[in-house]
Amino acid sequence: MSGGYMSMGEAHRRILEYLNRFSDAVSSQDGKSLSRLLSISSDSHHLLSLADALNTFQDANRLIRQSDEYSQYADILLPVFRAFQSYRLRNLVESYQAFEKAANAFIQEFRNWESAWALEALYVLTFEIRILAERADRELASNGKTPEKLKGAGSLLMKVFSTLAGKGPKRVGALHVTCQLFKIYFKLGTVHLCRSVIRSIETARIFDFEEFPVRDKVTYMYYTGRLEVYNENFPAADQKLSYALTHCDLRKEANLRMILKYLIPVKLSIGILPKALLLENYNLNEYSNIVLALKRGDLRLLRHALLEHEDRFLRSGVYLVLEKLELQVYQRLLKKIHIIQKQKDPSKAHQIKLEIIVKAMKWLEIDMDVDEVECIMSILIYKNLVKGYFAHKSKVVVLSKQDPFPKLNGKPISS
Amino acid sequence: MATTEQPKAAAEDAKIDLFEDDDEFEEFEIDQDWEDKEEAKEVTQQWEDDWDDDDVNDDFSLQLRRELENNNEKS
Repeated sequence: MSGGYMSMGEAHRRILEYLNRFSDAVSSQDGKSLSRLLSISSDSHHLLSLADALNTFQDANRLIRQSDEYSQYADILLPVFRAFQSYRLRNLVESYQAFEKAANAFIQEFRNWESAWALEALYVLTFEIRILAERADRELASNGKTPEKLKGAGSLLMKVFSTLAGKGPKRVGALHVTCQLFKIYFKLGTVHLCRSVIRSIETARIFDFEEFPVRDKVTYMYYTGRLEVYNENFPAADQKLSYALTHCDLRKEANLRMILKYLIPVKLSIGILPKALLLENYNLNEYSNIVLALKRGDLRLLRHALLEHEDRFLRSGVYLVLEKLELQVYQRLLKKIHIIQKQKDPSKAHQIKLEIIVKAMKWLEIDMDVDEVECIMSILIYKNLVKGYFAHKSKVVVLSKQDPFPKLNGKPISS
Repeated sequence: MATTEQPKAAAEDAKIDLFEDDDEFEEFEIDQDWEDKEEAKEVTQQWEDDWDDDDVNDDFSLQLRRELENNNEKS
């Protein structure tokens, strides 16, 4: 393996160096230095060679216990060392278990520190817990065992959350932990667990949302926006995802793309289209034909586009949102038929024979009889996408002379 | 080691597929903050809400018109 030979003396020196740095960081309340000492998955040179030293020396516990300076943090340091050792040997389940112990001990200490100086270290800890748990689960799964560590990481982070979610200066860290929790819940498919955390953030008076760091606000709005998409609460989804979009760091293109991936279907559902440039810039061309279908009133194209990218849309959970665009496409088609009729014979333009619609559908290779078209028309009228009434006997839709095709204007279709 | 890992990989994929979120947000740097820029609005605010116009001169509409007129003659 890499690392190579290390003398006993060298190993001893490196371990002591780590212990010194650790106790210096705590005594000088240097959160950044402390966080570097805990970022196990960063694979930094320092930490890797520490792990090699631990695996060479084998008796680091003695070094911790022989000095008061170190032994007061033994509950953190002993398991952290075990975690580093196992991590280096690619034994990720053991590494996670040890790191979880260390994290619990750290939280204990963190509670006693009055100021929020160690928040940055706590952030790194919560991130590492999540990443290690994911890797440990992969290891468990590949050995035919049940992956359960990420779930455990979720419980641990809930504990961190409640440590922060009180009054006092530490509460500014609560949103960061919330975002880590969201990542876990989305990965596990247990998004309903987000609800209680969201309630604490959004209803508790101790939090003023604007006080949180912008990076956490953006992440929070992205995930809660996605939840609103799943709940089909489109105005709320629009508001949250738009917030994420306008405040996101422009250098994070992948994140911008992810926000748009959910925001675009939301915007479409309230009658707002992305410009072609936006789809191009963020490589979201799966929406191009859907946009074109809406502009044209081309039902066939909409159905093709949905079919073509079905897997992708189902995976991200926006398929149902996009499927409902059919009504808007019908509206657009009907409007075009109306305009064409009006140009030919303005006096009769507000009456559209169902027969005509059936023929337009046939042209679009959609097989529909008069009864089915009648059914669609009554849905359009009911949903206020068409203003008018229905002359059942003569099989004619009679359009209102004023604003027969109301625009959505950023509001969702009424249900 | 590499040889024993290979067959495992396939089984791994199948199981891990259960735990996926394709759209996991990338971490922002902890100590990195940024200011809202006007530029951000320009880059991302590319929307149109007045697309639902009365223009029927596009190819699709022209074909639709031909189709409807043909049909009218037949009936």
